Amino acid sequence: MTKCNEIQEKLSQFIEGDLPEVANSEVKKHLKNCDACQKELEEIKSFLSILNKNEMEIPSTKLKTNFEKMLAQEIENSKPKVVQLQPKQDWKSFLKVAASVAIIISAFLFGKHQSTITKIANAKEENKQEVLAMLENNSASKRILAVTNAEEFTKDDIKIIEALINRLFFDKNANVRLAAAETLTKFSSKEIVRDALLKALVTEKNSSVQIELIYILGKIQEKRAIKPMEKMLTNEETPEFVKQEIQINLSNLL
Amino acid sequence: MVLRIETNQKPTLKHLTDEELMLQIANGKLELLTILFDRYHVRIYNFFNKMVQNKMVSEDLTQDVFLKVIKYKTSYKNGNFAAWIYTIARNIFSTHYQKTKKERSNVIDDDTLETNETTVSESRQEELDHLQKALLKLSNSDRELIVMHRFQEIKYEQIAQIVGSNENAVKVKVHRALKKLKEIYFQTAV
Repeated sequence: MTKCNEIQEKLSQFIEGDLPEVANSEVKKHLKNCDACQKELEEIKSFLSILNKNEMEIPSTKLKTNFEKMLAQEIENSKPKVVQLQPKQDWKSFLKVAASVAIIISAFLFGKHQSTITKIANAKEENKQEVLAMLENNSASKRILAVTNAEEFTKDDIKIIEALINRLFFDKNANVRLAAAETLTKFSSKEIVRDALLKALVTEKNSSVQIELIYILGKIQEKRAIKPMEKMLTNEETPEFVKQEIQINLSNLL
Repeated sequence: MVLRIETNQKPTLKHLTDEELMLQIANGKLELLTILFDRYHVRIYNFFNKMVQNKMVSEDLTQDVFLKVIKYKTSYKNGNFAAWIYTIARNIFSTHYQKTKKERSNVIDDDTLETNETTVSESRQEELDHLQKALLKLSNSDRELIVMHRFQEIKYEQIAQIVGSNENAVKVKVHRALKKLKEIYFQTAV
């Protein structure tokens, strides 16, 4: 029995002609004398013939079209990476060159006088920085000068406007606040300027600045000023000449 | 040797071996995958169709194989391409198998019945259907051995590479799997 088992283990290889010579003749010899193994051999043979009838199926054409779509997508995805690398390197080397040029130029410029720098650099930008710096100057007359100079700038120069508003609210010197209010009139189309002037009217304690603010608010037709002005009129502390100014301008607003 | 002489004379792409093509694909010539697709997709599709017995799923899984070929192209190291791509196919099958464990039994029968090749006589069709059902009763590892050896006609040596075993062990396993399948087939008469 063990012999038959051993033989049967080798039968499929025997059919395929895949057995070494010795084993092959051993199986042959056994088969001649063993009906059971002979029967098993026939069974395997017929079963293998059934298996062999099995043909490869052809998949639908969808498989090929889907594959082509996928491949095109993958090729597309891989492209930008390759293309991008090149310009990136160029960009880097460009930056390197630009940086070294910038270093040389600035080193050159540093050696020169201040006046030379001013000439080379954008005059207006320089001017703006100067005005902004001067607005913070310790000398009140310098600040007044700066405030007046600020007139040259457009209403889009938000930094200048903000600096002026800052002066209007917080400058210790009334004359600077006065000049700031005057200059801000030019930018009265801006909402933040109108808001600032209105707020200053409420907070300002100096009467000459108050008068200026009243005059400006009347001129720019700021209707929101009516209420605080009326309030000032009823306030006993408000000086008479301020009240007079209010009355003149209030009639323009109403 | 013969191939080397051929390529030296006329290096047309169609004459390149699978391995030569795959190395070029790994180097970025993705468009060459079309040639390998043409060479392998029917075989891979039939491998899946025998394993899962569902045409639509088999097409999807076949597509997956080629997507993975692109994804893992740099991990291809000049080995036997057929063995490599079947390794990918096996992995995809086992992932699919794990995912669909629950619903599997319901899907199978419907799909096999849809086979309507007009050239196949009715009795032969019955025979094939019976064989398919018998195949499904085998374990995955037995079934894939039979599919690779009998239906795909992959040599023992290569199967050993694909499943990570040695040639003699594969021979014995294939034989035993065949024996099991034969018994299942004849037990449940047509």
